[in-house]
Amino acid sequence: MAMLQSQRMRLATAVKLVVLIIFVAIFFLPLVSMIVTSLKTMEELFKYPPIVFPRNPQWGNYVTAWTMVRFGHFLVNSLTISIFYTVPCIFGSCFAGYAFSRFRVREKSGIFMVVLSTMMIPQMVTIIPLYILISKIGLADKQWLWLLFGLQGTPFLIFLFRQYFSTIPISFEESARLDGAGRFRIFFAIMFPLVQTAVIVAGIFAFQWSWADYLQPVLFLKGEKVTLAVKLAIGYTDQKENVLHHIGMAGLLYYTAPIIIIFFALQRRFIAGLMSGGLKG
Amino acid sequence: MGRIKAENRRSFYIFLAPWIAGFLAFQLAPIGWGLLTSLTNRMAFSIKWKFIGLKNYESVLTNPDVLYAFMITFVYALLHTSLAILTGLVIALLLERKVPGRGVFRTILYFPYMLPLVAVGWIFKIFLDRDTGFLNEVLVRLGLLKEAVPWLQKYPLQSILALALWQSGWSLVIFLGGLATVPNELYEAATIDGAGYGRRLRHITLPLLSPFIFFQFVASMIYAMQTFIQPYLMNPKSHRGENLFLETPPRETFFVMAQAYQQVIEKHRFAYGISMLWTLFAVVLIITVIFIRLGGFVVYTEVEEKR
Repeated sequence: MAMLQSQRMRLATAVKLVVLIIFVAIFFLPLVSMIVTSLKTMEELFKYPPIVFPRNPQWGNYVTAWTMVRFGHFLVNSLTISIFYTVPCIFGSCFAGYAFSRFRVREKSGIFMVVLSTMMIPQMVTIIPLYILISKIGLADKQWLWLLFGLQGTPFLIFLFRQYFSTIPISFEESARLDGAGRFRIFFAIMFPLVQTAVIVAGIFAFQWSWADYLQPVLFLKGEKVTLAVKLAIGYTDQKENVLHHIGMAGLLYYTAPIIIIFFALQRRFIAGLMSGGLKG
Repeated sequence: MGRIKAENRRSFYIFLAPWIAGFLAFQLAPIGWGLLTSLTNRMAFSIKWKFIGLKNYESVLTNPDVLYAFMITFVYALLHTSLAILTGLVIALLLERKVPGRGVFRTILYFPYMLPLVAVGWIFKIFLDRDTGFLNEVLVRLGLLKEAVPWLQKYPLQSILALALWQSGWSLVIFLGGLATVPNELYEAATIDGAGYGRRLRHITLPLLSPFIFFQFVASMIYAMQTFIQPYLMNPKSHRGENLFLETPPRETFFVMAQAYQQVIEKHRFAYGISMLWTLFAVVLIITVIFIRLGGFVVYTEVEEKR
């Protein structure tokens, strides 16, 4: 009986593994196609029957992708607005999460409902009027706007921080308060270091979000100041306006690289932090 | 006592100040201004304009193209949401317990969600291409297809859905978090009572997971109703030159957001475009309220035990 059960368990695990590996294979296909395409020549792109793997991998495509559009310049733009957004976003969310987890104020739950209900506002409903208003007062084309955009934090991250702060015993703060430390001292000296995991999650999210965002840069920034998202959305074209898919894929690999590096360097804490803190209750 | 209370409230608002400032400046003000503008006949360069009441909304709601866009946006959001939840749920259940390499699978399957939409749109445009696409090549070699299919031209909506499925990692993480909250004793007790996998799934896992599924459903619907850039990126007309918005996507994927963007930014019809956005906002609100009402019936709660 026990034998039979352990055999069945092993069979179940094997089936699960096979299904998972099929999933992984399917998930990898688009990425493989991206990398393979980035190594083809222009002729190989349009050959029929199609060539799966290029005969001579064109590593030069990666050089072309970098030099053709002054990639470095737009990379700096992307980095600038992403950092401008990420830092205030971490603090804004963290402050708000702390406020909602710790203070006993009558109107607190009402305000928290407002925070959560802002999730229902489509991004464009606010961004398009904001764009019209901001260009009217002549502030369009300023990268420092992202410092302000970040301040509000996001409902999800506020919720996440609130969950994390709620798990910290109040006694930690009380003893410090008896010693006469002020609210902000307590916050930065005691509470902030205790929610490191949430800070990492928030940082990755905010960075990824602003790095990927297309709508705000395309509206608020012009010409030389646009980000990689805006630049690469058009794709690479030659003088006759043919779209150069192979160069484009190489460019996209550069564009996604920072996200890939950050994600894989921090993924263990990131996913665990997401699962443990944010989603209970 | 009163002093402590006052200090408490003051500190609360100091910590909340960044959020309040952002909310007023970047959400409430533009929303209010947008609502007022949608009641006028204002264009980008108009010097004189006047209030015309609900006329814009009237023309939004009587324009068959716009109504079609609302319909197709809703259909897309529903498909996107259901399929992403299903995929996330299946993978989460596969990863539920003792599977070797659990962490690695989790990371790999979550990963596409992290990639920027602009990149993903292009990756799928190439991936699904009739001539250079990998998908056709694989399917033909496996004998599942006789000849290459122009996916983007023939199935634009499904192509965007494929992209959404690829990025279903978010629901995977939500469900893994949900599964972690299910007490192990319940499974053990059920197993001792002789319940097989199917019955455990139906009577323990799914009921306890239902709040997470429900939350994910609502959040994903709101998100998918706003789909905007994918149809432009994956536009099956191959050439588009320097302007992404020069060529409109096919009817099947010309969603509400894309139409509103075109009205405001490309055609400079501020008031009309914003009234389209507001109509979508209203639809999102109505859908959310309906779902939350319905949610009371489908979500399992432990009210009886708590009492």
